[in-house]
Amino acid sequence: MLKLPERIIRTNRQNSSGLVKISPRQIYILPTRYGVIYGLLLLLLLLGSINYGNNLAFFLTFLLAGLGIVAMLHTWRNLAALELIAGTNNPIFAGQTACFEIHLINERNSERPNIKIQTTKRNVATTDLSSNSRDTIKLFQESEKRGILELERINVSTSYPLGLLRAWSYVELDASCLVYPNPASSKPPATDSEYDRSSNGDKGVGVDDFVAIRAYRPGDTPKQINWKAFASERGLQTKQFGGDRSDRIWLDWQSMPNIATEERLSRLCRGVLDACDKEQEFGLRIPGTEIYPSHGQAHRHKCLAALAMYEDAK
Amino acid sequence: MRPDKEQLNLGLLISLIIILTAAAAPHFLHLHGWITAFFIASVSLRIASLIQPRLLPGRFLLFMLAILGLTNVILNHPILLSGETAVALMTSMVGLKLLEIRNRRDLFIVVFVGYFLLATQFLFNQEIYMVGLVVVLTTALTGVLLENSRAKPNNNPVKSFSSAFILLLQALPVMLILFIFFPRLSGPLWIFNSDEIIGRTGLSDNISMGSISKLVLSQEVAFRVDFIDTVPAPPNRYWRGPVLWDTDGKNWYRGKPIAHAAPKLISNQAEIEYFVTLEPTDNKWLMMLDLPSDIPDKADMSGDFLTMRKEPVKNRLRYRASSKLDYNTGPISPEAQSRSLQLPDNITQRMRDLVQNWKSASSSKLEIVNKALEYFRNEEFYYTLRPPLLGSNPVDQFIFESRSGFCEHYATSFTLLMRLADIPSRVVTGYQGGEINPIGEHLVVRQSDAHAWAEVWLQGRGWIRVDPTAAVAPERIERSFDFDAGFASGPLGRPIDFTGVKLTFAAKMIKQISWGMDAINASWHRWVLGYTREQQSVLMNMLGLDFLKGHSLAFAMIGFAAIVVTLLGISLWRASNRLSDRVHADYLIFCRKLSKKGLGRRPTEGPKDFLRRICRVRPDLAPSATKITLLYLELRYGQNHTKERHRSLYEMIKRFSP
Repeated sequence: MLKLPERIIRTNRQNSSGLVKISPRQIYILPTRYGVIYGLLLLLLLLGSINYGNNLAFFLTFLLAGLGIVAMLHTWRNLAALELIAGTNNPIFAGQTACFEIHLINERNSERPNIKIQTTKRNVATTDLSSNSRDTIKLFQESEKRGILELERINVSTSYPLGLLRAWSYVELDASCLVYPNPASSKPPATDSEYDRSSNGDKGVGVDDFVAIRAYRPGDTPKQINWKAFASERGLQTKQFGGDRSDRIWLDWQSMPNIATEERLSRLCRGVLDACDKEQEFGLRIPGTEIYPSHGQAHRHKCLAALAMYEDAK
Repeated sequence: MRPDKEQLNLGLLISLIIILTAAAAPHFLHLHGWITAFFIASVSLRIASLIQPRLLPGRFLLFMLAILGLTNVILNHPILLSGETAVALMTSMVGLKLLEIRNRRDLFIVVFVGYFLLATQFLFNQEIYMVGLVVVLTTALTGVLLENSRAKPNNNPVKSFSSAFILLLQALPVMLILFIFFPRLSGPLWIFNSDEIIGRTGLSDNISMGSISKLVLSQEVAFRVDFIDTVPAPPNRYWRGPVLWDTDGKNWYRGKPIAHAAPKLISNQAEIEYFVTLEPTDNKWLMMLDLPSDIPDKADMSGDFLTMRKEPVKNRLRYRASSKLDYNTGPISPEAQSRSLQLPDNITQRMRDLVQNWKSASSSKLEIVNKALEYFRNEEFYYTLRPPLLGSNPVDQFIFESRSGFCEHYATSFTLLMRLADIPSRVVTGYQGGEINPIGEHLVVRQSDAHAWAEVWLQGRGWIRVDPTAAVAPERIERSFDFDAGFASGPLGRPIDFTGVKLTFAAKMIKQISWGMDAINASWHRWVLGYTREQQSVLMNMLGLDFLKGHSLAFAMIGFAAIVVTLLGISLWRASNRLSDRVHADYLIFCRKLSKKGLGRRPTEGPKDFLRRICRVRPDLAPSATKITLLYLELRYGQNHTKERHRSLYEMIKRFSP
């Protein structure tokens, strides 16, 4: 692909509703290497025709030359007035690959075959658009760090109809993907220090989480009796386990002293994920932001987004 | 475009095999059998390997096959750098490339070679049907490129073919402009050191008894003539070819050219002007009406009035010339005199006696000539296409024994008898007659009109034409005979019957159709094949563009091509946007009408919101406005576009009056 200096590149930008219509005047066109060979073929044919003074050879040579020129118009037309609009995309974790959906809209009564959308050499999607249709293609872009991943400038190109010429145009779509921090593989941040009992008193009864020790009541299962305490003659005590719902944990920035910012975010992210997996209610406290304990996908996203945008948001 | 290394799909591969075989096939007619065999073997192997992929040769085997193919070409077409060798090489390599074709990169190479192969067909055959074949195959090859440049194969490959046809149709105007304005050179850029050996029927520069009668069996067109004003009467239609001076008693040769100053022609008669479209002959001479007075610039006239070019006529050639029917060539040079009296050594006594009789009974040389003609006329001579075989002394045998022969028998015998009578004489070959095509109104001269006659030099009159055949069979000179196979297959010595040919209705129809075909052919030759530098300037004159020459012609070509391409671009652009844009334009009229009544559409308002507001503010307009808006939305954004529906939208908006 030809690299043009940034300052002379003309880009198609989107209008207020997010739609980009490729302007017929912002299309570049150059022969492919097969186009160059085709040109040499024409030259050879022309020399032969001149030499033999053969009018029918001239006829074929000029017909093929005309074909090349007409193909140029068709290649250009295949791109002109094509519309693009960014679709939705799902947030990812840093290091993962973002998938950008792009809708291609062909409002024309003729088809547009072989529309190629690419950002980098590896990142390519190709489709044939039939007349008056729309199609969705996916572009993948790798993320490196948390925050907002902007879709790179897109190169929309086509070499239809003959493959001898390639027309392309640059499109700037405002599509972005939220990148959560990469969750730490090590332990989540300490949460027990922020242990908080529900003020509503309903702890529930469960088996998962140790809640407290209380005096034995008749009917408690022997499994829950604190035999260690009994052995040390502190009387019969029962270990009480509570339901998840009743537990609220706080994931707190301050609980991890002396750790670099990114590592902290990464651990907090792990904490969020773990808490979600255990269906615990959790809250998040990072400098400048405090999210009260809650649960569910929306809450998860809110917390992860807060982590993703930490300091970027300021 | 898909990646270069991607495998081809089977459909494309099979179409390529078929198209390239068809593109190479016409070459089989003139290439050596082994080249054809090599090509067919390669293609067969390719087809077999479609069924059994293990048969596909590997890299090493392919290399060996390439060497085999090259050896095959060198052995069978040993002349390097000739067009024919190049074609042989290309045909062999196309066969091999089909074996090697694996991915999309190979596909491009094969398609390009295919285009080239098609162009080479025109070196050998320039008939209209060949153009048809080439156009069909070019479309098919282009269709392959179209199909190849899609992301996914088309459901209907015929669609790719028809798209290719449309592309070629759009390329046609550009082609025409390039064809008309591309500056033509007058000669070739380079000349191959060897001539291509393509057997052609036509006159040669020597004759023996029986050589012309073989030629006469061919109905091929030798040349066509367009007369500018006067069309000479049939007896005057002698078309001058090589003049033969030297004989060994059996054969007649041109011999070395006569050293001669520019030949003189004394005549007061008006010139007959004409255009000749000569079919390729591989010889240098040009056919002229006897005797030529004005010849094309790039030709020379020899001492015996034969018009020669510097290069052989390898392609159809159109030239302008003029001739005079009544002439005096003036005195004879000593060299010409001695050459035109040369005698072979097989003169018999009875020949000498015959001539001696004429000489003693005549007072002038002209009388001797007339006596000889009378002899041929009065004795039992027959004009036949199937003369009996003659032995070691054909002239003697013909004059006194067989007495059945064709024009060359009469011309050569007559010339020899004149030389015996000390009258300088020579044999002239060429064509006599020709038929006027009633449709194209041009004269068609065929190989079957080939003829030989004699010329004698008489004091005070110069060289004059004497046609002994006319004495035997005057009908031959009056009209061309309507050739049919009966002449060739009849008994030996059977005279030609010029009157007995009765045409049936079917035969008349066939003749009519063949005249029509000939007329098409003639314009084809005149306007397409014969479009040379001269024709180009004639056309420029007709178009009033005669100031365009050389460079300016090239600039004009670029300019006109640019205009055509721009127009095509604009029309493509408009065609692609027309309907939905027009629908929108109509909707804007609707908005304008409302805006005049103080109900303008706000920039942020979509058609539906606008409609809601209309209904609220002007409930009386609601029904028609709703109809219009809904139809507009459907036409602009829906799938269902038809011209009728657009028209009804237009009508509704026209009737709409708020």
